[in-house]
Amino acid sequence: MPVRIRDAAVASAMFAVPAAPAQTLIDYSGLRVATPIPGPARPTRRRAICSLAFIRYADGDLGPYHEFAVAFLVRPPDGGPIGAFIHWLPVNQAFTLDAGRTIWGFPKEIADIPIDLASRIKRCAVRFGGRTALELAVKPGLPMPGGAAAPKVDAYSCLDGITRRTPWTMSPSGVRLRPGGARLTLGDHPVADELRGLGLHGARALSSSTVAHLAMEFADATEVRR
Amino acid sequence: MNRTGETAPGSWEVVPPRGTRTALVTGAGSGLGALAAQRLAAAGWDVVGVDVDEAGLGRTAARSPNMHTRVCDVADPKAVEALVAEIGTPHRVLHAAGIGPLSPALEQPLDEVERVVRVNYLGTVHVVRAVLPGMLARGQGELILFSSLAAWLTAPLTSAYAAAKSAVNAYAEALVREHGDSGVKIRCVCPPQVDTPMLRRIVERYPAVGRTRIMPPRLVLDEIDRSLARPARDLYVLPGGRARAAVFLQRHAPRIVDLVLRQAIRPGRGLSEETRTG
Repeated sequence: MPVRIRDAAVASAMFAVPAAPAQTLIDYSGLRVATPIPGPARPTRRRAICSLAFIRYADGDLGPYHEFAVAFLVRPPDGGPIGAFIHWLPVNQAFTLDAGRTIWGFPKEIADIPIDLASRIKRCAVRFGGRTALELAVKPGLPMPGGAAAPKVDAYSCLDGITRRTPWTMSPSGVRLRPGGARLTLGDHPVADELRGLGLHGARALSSSTVAHLAMEFADATEVRR
Repeated sequence: MNRTGETAPGSWEVVPPRGTRTALVTGAGSGLGALAAQRLAAAGWDVVGVDVDEAGLGRTAARSPNMHTRVCDVADPKAVEALVAEIGTPHRVLHAAGIGPLSPALEQPLDEVERVVRVNYLGTVHVVRAVLPGMLARGQGELILFSSLAAWLTAPLTSAYAAAKSAVNAYAEALVREHGDSGVKIRCVCPPQVDTPMLRRIVERYPAVGRTRIMPPRLVLDEIDRSLARPARDLYVLPGGRARAAVFLQRHAPRIVDLVLRQAIRPGRGLSEETRTG
């Protein structure tokens, strides 16, 4: 049975990162990072895409909560369209933690996630016991016509050695987009260290976006054979 | 932030750490109150949602362990007092409960007029009297009272509603003059027409209402969030440029406003219907 989110709001940023260390980071999933940016042919110079997002779920089947996502664009093993591999997904509420881990195998854990989506610059922090793992600020972009964002994506996840694919449908409105426009500050956490290893501390984003209203649907997960 | 990640919370963090703050949201069964309660719960506040609509409360609080609900009619002073005695003084109160039946002034049954005043104006008084003393004793708090743009620009058919909301404005102004330096932030929110179940019921009867621009509830709540960063005496929250322009026009060019509003909804017959906001 699909899980429906009736109202969420999102700010996100995409960063180009060196493909080789990004691949090493997600090797545990058996998936390959996508390298969609045309550029140097030498494999060592290829760039993968790391996407960071913070989401406020107000009305949905998983209850109200805040979430931060670290994802990489990946090429699915069966040669289908580019998907998003969710590497880390801290949330601030217990119900969604349990549901996310058991239904889809999303790598959720509990954190304090203050989010400000009302101000001009959207901000989010992820904290564990008062210690900051990271902070992300996203500047406002230009309004995009309706349906500018990808309506259908496959989300991939890997928990306890099982890689899963979850079809994910989105209906965004109030989308704003711009080049650059995001600032990531990394703190003290293993994932922050991983992102630092990809050169993301203080890095300039490729693009950033905000979605004022997002409805979503997550279908059941299926196991991906390696 | 330094390398070890030890930071003070940023100035933008209106959201406190988990479990350290409590919020009371009235009218949480639907509309603005429901969304406000869900957003606060998402941010980790301990929320008590209140409404007369028990089923609506159930929908708002579904799968939200830090949201608690109580059926309570804000028009009943004893019930409101008992509720606050039970839950303690909240850090933030968002009083969104209200009703908005439309009717020509001379045709509206007197008991309906009384009910509108009782829920919208006296309901506000009851909530304030129950929570403000505790906030004053604590020396801090956020008291957000919902009025309406109708208190500034009164359209046909809204006599009782607009009168009650105007009373809320006057009451809030007196409160902020009495307690503006107390550390408690008082806000009087005057939204234009907002897309809520209450408005949708009105539009069913008066399609003309639906032809004006209708604001999504999230924009009203964003405006409230931003307003809380402003000084304590900055009482009014007018969500959206059109609402601010309308209030400006009402002050400086009332004849234009009169011309527009006379056309807004044409009075008819048998028009009274009680609707409940959230």
